[in-house]
Amino acid sequence: ELTSHLFRELENGRIVRLMMKLGAVNERHEFDGDRSWSENGERYMLKLFRDYVFHQVDANGNPVLDAGHMIRCLSKLDAGTDERICLTSRDEQTSFLVSYKELKKQLGNAFGDLQKSSKQV
Amino acid sequence: MDADWDEVSRIPFPPPGVHAMPTPVTTMIFDTSQELLWTGNDFGRVTSFYGTKMQLHTSHKAHLSADGPVRQLLVNDKGIIALGSKDVHMAIRRGPPIWHIRHAAMKDLRCMSFTSKGTAEIIVAGLQDVMLVIDVSKGEVVKEVPTEHQYTIMKRGRYICAATKSGTINLLDPVSFAVVRSWSAHSALINDMDAQHDFIVTCGYSLRQGQNYMLDPFLNVFDLKKMSSMPPIPFPAGAAYVRMHPRMLTTSIVVSQSGQMHVVDLMNPNTSNVRQANVITYLSMFEIAPSGEAIALTDAECYIHLWGSPSKLHFVDLPTPTEFATPEEPIPQIEWTADTPLNSIGLPYYREVLASAWPDFVSDVGAPPVKFDSQFLSGLKSTDFGLYGRNSRGLRRNQVEDTRDLGKSDHSGLKAPKFLSEKARESVKLATLL
Repeated sequence: ELTSHLFRELENGRIVRLMMKLGAVNERHEFDGDRSWSENGERYMLKLFRDYVFHQVDANGNPVLDAGHMIRCLSKLDAGTDERICLTSRDEQTSFLVSYKELKKQLGNAFGDLQKSSKQV
Repeated sequence: MDADWDEVSRIPFPPPGVHAMPTPVTTMIFDTSQELLWTGNDFGRVTSFYGTKMQLHTSHKAHLSADGPVRQLLVNDKGIIALGSKDVHMAIRRGPPIWHIRHAAMKDLRCMSFTSKGTAEIIVAGLQDVMLVIDVSKGEVVKEVPTEHQYTIMKRGRYICAATKSGTINLLDPVSFAVVRSWSAHSALINDMDAQHDFIVTCGYSLRQGQNYMLDPFLNVFDLKKMSSMPPIPFPAGAAYVRMHPRMLTTSIVVSQSGQMHVVDLMNPNTSNVRQANVITYLSMFEIAPSGEAIALTDAECYIHLWGSPSKLHFVDLPTPTEFATPEEPIPQIEWTADTPLNSIGLPYYREVLASAWPDFVSDVGAPPVKFDSQFLSGLKSTDFGLYGRNSRGLRRNQVEDTRDLGKSDHSGLKAPKFLSEKARESVKLATLL
C-alpha cells in the first residue's frame, strides 16, 4: 500500500518535471526568429510534438482529450525510446518521421540553452 | 526499355497548401539507396514518394518560400541535400534537418555536383561569380572558388560537366575545379544534360530567325575518351530531355516535350526503341532511376508519371528498407477517474538519464507576493473579469521581482522593523487598493 503510493507520487513528479521542461521551451518569445525553431530548423519538431501529444483530434476535427495518450507519449519521451512517430505541421504540408530518442535530445538541447542563459547557473 | 514498359502510376503533385492550386515539380531525383523519389517545389519544399504506388512519404521545408524554388537535389547515404537560390539544406530521409548553410556569397545558386571526394563534398554554383565547396559531413563551406562562367546545370561524370546559360559545356576538374575543356553544344542554350563514363549528352535550343527559341532536332554527344564531339543523333520531334541509362553504358533515353521517348544506343544510333507517354499538355522533366528499371516524367498539369515494367519496377537494385512510423501496439483501455493513478501507464525500459531529470537549481520558494504600486493600478480599467491596461510598470512582461527586499530598495537607509499591528494595517490598505 505504502510503496504503491510512493510509486504513484514518484510518477506524478516525473511527469510534472517533464511538462515543466516542455512548457519552459515551447513558444518562448526569445526564440522568435531563431532559425532552429523555424520551419526548417531542428527544433521545429518539438512544437509539432506538443501538438501531437496535447492537440489530438478525431476525424471530425473535434478535440480528443485522452489522458492515456498524453501520459504514454510523455513517458516515451522521458525514456527516449526508438519508436518513430509521424509529426505533421498544422498546414499538413510537413511530415517528419521522428523517434522519441531524437525528440528527447532536442528537448535536452533546448532546455540546456535556457539553462546557459539563465542567471541561476 | 523492355516491351512491357508502361505507365505504372500517375499522381498529382501535392499543392503548396490545403486550398492552393497545384504547382509544378521544380526538380526531382531518384534515391540511390531506397525506393524513394525526391521532388522539390516552388516554395522550397522537399517531398518524397515511396515505391511503385508513389505513396507520399515525408515532406520538409528546405528553404523559406520567399527564396523561391528548390533548384536541385542530391542524395547520399546520410540524407538529402536541397539547393535553393540562397542556401543549401541537408536533411535525413525522415525529414529532420542535419544542417543548413546560408552564406553571403550565395546569391543565385542554380546547380551543384559531388566532387572528387565521393559523396562527402559538393560544389555549388549558379548565376554568380563564385562557386562554393561544401563539406557535406560537417555542413560547412570549405572553399570559395571564383569563376568566370555562370552555370545552370551540373552533372558529375569523369569531370564535373557544367552547362553555362549560353549553350556551352565546361568540363571542370573535380579536384581543382579548373576548366579543362570547353565545348559549344548548342547555339542558344542548354535545356538538359547528362554525363556518364565516357559520354556527355545534351539537348538544347537554337535561336531561329533571331527571335524564336526552338528545340534542336538532335541530341549532341561528346566523347570524353577522345575529347571530341560525336556526330549529333537526329531526333526529329525535338530533343527536350535526356538521360544516360545507368546500366547500359552507351545507351541514352531521349524525350520530346510531347512525350515521345526514344531509347538510343550512342554507338549505333539507327536502331531505336520508341514509346509514347500519355500527356495532354507537355512534359517538363524526366529522370531515370539508378536501377534503370523506372523513369519518372512530370507534365505541365503538375502530374508525376512513373514508367517501368509493371512486374519488375524498382528504383534501386538492393534497396535499404525505408523507415516508416513504428506501428502502434494495441493499447489496453484505461478507465480514467479522478483517482486513477498516473502510473497506471508504465515507463518504457530505459538506460540513460530521463528527460524529466532536472538539474540542481536553487529555487526561492515562499517569497511574498508581488505588490503593485497605486499609480499602476489606478491606470487600469476595471471589468467583470479583472483589471486591464498598459504595462506601465517599467518592468518587462513576466519579469521576476525580488519581493523579499522590496522594502529595502524602495527607501534608502535602514528602517526599523514594523510591529505586527502596523503590518496588518498596511495589508488592509493594500487590500482596499486592490
